[in-house]
Amino acid sequence: MKARSIVFAVFLVFFASVAMAASSPCPQHYLSGEAPDFLNPRLSTKSKEVCYSGFTVIHSGVTRTPLTSAEHLTKERLSKHVKRNGEFHPDSNLPASDRAELADYAQSGYDRGHMAPAADMTDKKSMSECFTLANMIPQNSNNNQNLWEGIERTVREFAKSSGDLYVVTGPIFYGAKLKRLNGRVTVPTYVYKAVYDMNSQQAAAYLVKNEKGKKYVRISIPELEKLSGIAVFPKLSADAKKNVLPLPDPLIHGRASATEDRTLLPMQ
Amino acid sequence: MRKIKPFANERDSLEINGLIIENRIDRVSVYGSITITRDKKGLKAARKIAVIFSSIIKQLDSENLPDSLPSPKAGDIIDNPFE
Repeated sequence: MKARSIVFAVFLVFFASVAMAASSPCPQHYLSGEAPDFLNPRLSTKSKEVCYSGFTVIHSGVTRTPLTSAEHLTKERLSKHVKRNGEFHPDSNLPASDRAELADYAQSGYDRGHMAPAADMTDKKSMSECFTLANMIPQNSNNNQNLWEGIERTVREFAKSSGDLYVVTGPIFYGAKLKRLNGRVTVPTYVYKAVYDMNSQQAAAYLVKNEKGKKYVRISIPELEKLSGIAVFPKLSADAKKNVLPLPDPLIHGRASATEDRTLLPMQ
Repeated sequence: MRKIKPFANERDSLEINGLIIENRIDRVSVYGSITITRDKKGLKAARKIAVIFSSIIKQLDSENLPDSLPSPKAGDIIDNPFE
């Protein structure tokens, strides 16, 4: 009897998460309108989806960071430009106990790294929204300002040439122990950027460690799912996921100085 | 032109032709790259950068500065809540 009620409870949780994914309040930022799904159910604790005009975040009140930040990048969207002026701010859409505050990052040595990048925003509203701390992770500054900026720029250029991409960016909290800022905001181990190209109908992701340096690796969607516990493009079939998108080499400040290192991906 | 008061808050951020400036209470981060062209646009951008850097120098000059910043706050180490 006890075992049966546990099974039933598991079923309820399963249906609840499926139902949540199906009724995303902001489908326009997702491939086939479907929000990322948590394969690791612990990720859903205190998670909340927050819609903005240029991107959508699934925020974790456990880490006080986003887990995913999703955007639809098209050639047309990126033909517009707006100045990168904004004010970093705590997110009033989130309960105070679940959100990061500016003071959490102060004197930490970490950058507030955008997940949906400011340079992808093409009007004043989305630009000012993307400075919400719900879109930020504590990111190594050297990484944020060089390698990661290069990956963001490379994906923008790819969107302009290919025309139509769905992109999901986020942190990965990997390993037994993690660092936390101000007793509140957890520092991720990795950062990923997953890309689905509507044109070739292929997907893949860039992965970097949240540390200084120029090493990155391109991984498949199943590899990303295994490492992150998140199905970033849940509508893709297992066969479609095997069809790996050849992502372009990232340039750092216009130079081919990044190096691909397969050993960044831990053996699993 | 948009201005920042250097080191006054953790909030302000602005861009000058691709160069990004972010205010923190213990630093001002300046990153990205910029080309100053030999034209009126180039002069305008160079002036904006000069205004920001002179306000940074003015602020630092007015303070009793340490030789270097103390180490960043250490933070604590926690068990991974997702494992």
